Amino acid sequence: MSDLKKLADRFESMIKGRDLAKYTYSLTESEKQEFNIEHGEFKLLRTVYSGRGSLKVFLGERMGSANGTDLTDKGLEALIEDATAAAQSSPEDPAHDIAPDQGKHERTQGVIEPDLNLFIERIKEFLDTVAKEYPRVRILNLGASHDKWTWLCRNSNGSDFCETAGCYTFMIEISAAEGDATTGFDYTAVTTKDLDTPFIERGDIRRCIESIDASIYPEAIEGEFKGSLVITPSCATDFIGMLIGNYASSGVVIDGTSLWLDKVGEQVVSDSLTLSLMNEDERITLSDLATGDDFLAENATIIEKGVLKQHFLGLYAANKTGRPVVKNNGGNYVVEPGDKSLDELIAGVDKGLVLGRFSGGNPGTNGDFSGVAKNSFLIENGRIKCAVSETMVNGNLWDMFKNIRGISKELVCNGSTVMPYIAVDGINISGK
Amino acid sequence: MFQDMLEKKRELFADGVQTVLRGHSNRNRRVVILKGNIVQNTRSESSGISARVNNNGTFGFASVAQTTPEAAEKVLRAATQNASLLAQHANRSIMLPPSLGTGMLEPHGVVNDAAQKDIIEACQTVDAYVEKTYPDLTTRTIVYTEDSQDRTIVSSDAWNGHMITPRCYIYVFITATTESGNPVELFKAFGGYGSFKDNFSDVTKYYPEIDELYKRLMDKKEGVYAQSGYKTVVLGGFMSGMLAHEAVGHTVEADLVRGGSVAGKNLNKKVASDLVTMTDFAYTYNGSPAPLPVYLDDEGTVAEDEVLIKDGTLVGYMHDRESAQHYGMKASGNARAWGFADEPLIRMRNTCILPGKSTLEEMIASIDDGYYLISSGNGQADLTGEFMFGVTCGYEIKNGKLGKGLLDTTVSGVAFDMLKTVDMVSDKVEWSSSGFCGKKQMMAVSMGGPCMRCKIMIGGR
Repeated sequence: MSDLKKLADRFESMIKGRDLAKYTYSLTESEKQEFNIEHGEFKLLRTVYSGRGSLKVFLGERMGSANGTDLTDKGLEALIEDATAAAQSSPEDPAHDIAPDQGKHERTQGVIEPDLNLFIERIKEFLDTVAKEYPRVRILNLGASHDKWTWLCRNSNGSDFCETAGCYTFMIEISAAEGDATTGFDYTAVTTKDLDTPFIERGDIRRCIESIDASIYPEAIEGEFKGSLVITPSCATDFIGMLIGNYASSGVVIDGTSLWLDKVGEQVVSDSLTLSLMNEDERITLSDLATGDDFLAENATIIEKGVLKQHFLGLYAANKTGRPVVKNNGGNYVVEPGDKSLDELIAGVDKGLVLGRFSGGNPGTNGDFSGVAKNSFLIENGRIKCAVSETMVNGNLWDMFKNIRGISKELVCNGSTVMPYIAVDGINISGK
Repeated sequence: MFQDMLEKKRELFADGVQTVLRGHSNRNRRVVILKGNIVQNTRSESSGISARVNNNGTFGFASVAQTTPEAAEKVLRAATQNASLLAQHANRSIMLPPSLGTGMLEPHGVVNDAAQKDIIEACQTVDAYVEKTYPDLTTRTIVYTEDSQDRTIVSSDAWNGHMITPRCYIYVFITATTESGNPVELFKAFGGYGSFKDNFSDVTKYYPEIDELYKRLMDKKEGVYAQSGYKTVVLGGFMSGMLAHEAVGHTVEADLVRGGSVAGKNLNKKVASDLVTMTDFAYTYNGSPAPLPVYLDDEGTVAEDEVLIKDGTLVGYMHDRESAQHYGMKASGNARAWGFADEPLIRMRNTCILPGKSTLEEMIASIDDGYYLISSGNGQADLTGEFMFGVTCGYEIKNGKLGKGLLDTTVSGVAFDMLKTVDMVSDKVEWSSSGFCGKKQMMAVSMGGPCMRCKIMIGGR
């Protein structure tokens, strides 16, 4: 870390030598150790030593930025040249800015030195458990890595951040087969600071495996009907991301295409939904020290009991539209639990699907979505009947979140998000 | 120079293993103008050296974000150690794949850097044209994106070479609002292989295509939802290319075949109508350079075309050296890595369904009630070949003529079922090279296809 501070001091003197009055920069050094298991066998061990410098320069109201991996004097000079050239070419825009002085902050979080022997034992334990308990399940790919990094960020307003952090990541891609019958694939991942718990018990890993194991003999749905979805936590995370992107993100607020443009303070979705972007939360593996705009990172609630509290805006979008900035980098979605169990949610559905994965693109600006229900199961009269194949679901994103019929008590924490099962009504479900 | 430096480190290659030392740089330029506001304006460079060591089927890989002799030595040491460490935990003992010959391939490609000022001016020119010509649009976004790879390969028992692959695009996104207040949008990417000046020294040449994009958006604004069900359609060339890549190409990547893809049990079997032939091209197509030419892969295998489907029969897979040995086939140069810190994986290059003899007009005229599906914003597929493509632009076909525009919808199916329904193939191929394929790492790929008449599930609303 001391080397990075010396590097920062040198970089800063270079920047000041160019008479640049307003700037922000960051320097990162990182190291990754990654075990790759393919078809159930250890295949590759990958070590990545990396670094990156980023610089944003403001010439009056003109802004330009550059980043690169070359942290030699030559590389840092090139960053200054490139960012300055970009700023000189840019039109004036007073909305470009950085946060006011946030003070000096330095910390360490997570696990910096990995226990590789225990890590390998946990991986082997996982492979053995799957082979023993789920012999039809194939591990197509398993990526298990430890990442550590030191990140330093300073700006001309006086803010000075420095953080050293590290964590383990465990990702699987799986399928299942029996004889000639095979499933498609499914995947899931967790991050963690410790190796206290077997990986199969973390996040939704066991559910993901059980789901693929139960999908070997799917049945096609006949015809089309309007029904309910019980959306699994990993799939719900995708839909929540679409909801924010479509209605509450910087781009759609700047260009005015958000259908929630003037809805702050109003009920926009079911009052059972409370959605926050969490930073400091014991269920989130690592928090952010600062945002991309150089604010100290904070928790932010976007929707509380169905009411839109604020849009998710960075500093540029906030300045551009005269709205408040959200001091959060986004992505760590936390949805508050409901009052029903998963079994009760399923029992309440006359006809619908447990939606394990949505294979479809982002909805259009109006929120219409359409895609294939993957790793999904038919519900009839409150009971799961069978896995489904070639089944499409379509609806409208906004309408879907207005029509929440229930949220589960159970929460899945994968280190990045905390998400319940969400049951919704009014979805078109169609077979071949 | 740089190649010479890496060559000198060959003396550090361990005996009895296969080693590839790679110097690798990626360059990115990006400008985003959202409704006249420059919201992104950045330049990025990443470079480093990596080494991969194959020790009887156990691989060690290491990379450093530096391009010095010391970095080359460091990654060679670390990769060798990683292979040895992993061998203690792996039950793999695989005979090393045979050499496919050695030598030095002549360099290919050049990259010319453009000033950020020129890039911004080009984007502003396009933005001003769209704003002035089409004031009724709700919003517009102009995105310039450029990425290039510069790779230097030194291998123990394969080919060596220095390859540069630049590409750049201007995306035009336009949005209109329907009478009921709902926004509808379309986009198109302009550009391709080459540097900024190769593609954008005169952006006015793209205006006719922007005009066509606007016309299609106006048709979509007045558009209708497709009726859901199993329909006869004409898939446009862009859609056929996406099908080739997503729904067929991935299932014939040999690592996914080993993982249980549908292609495993269908080799040398009929998977499509006789009209369908599909190839993953290396660096030429029809006597001209392929959209994103690959001459040498990141294992040092000289690239060749790989025929995947021949007259409707599945005849080949895409391989790296190890999978080629496993299946008793030949590696054709599909082991590719995107950045310096990435290990090579089996990836597509220029994947294309070959043209037939019909014309698009004949195909439309042959349909009484169906759809012409032109463009897609996304697509996904599974090991089973089950696919889903979003359709962002299309038209009804009524009594052999184009009807109303379509609002966003989705098509889906199972590739080897759907391809058997192809009964007309057009005489022209449309290529798309602007996208990235995601498979652990991103990778620049191109995909192409003719228009195809077939039956497919369409989502409706």
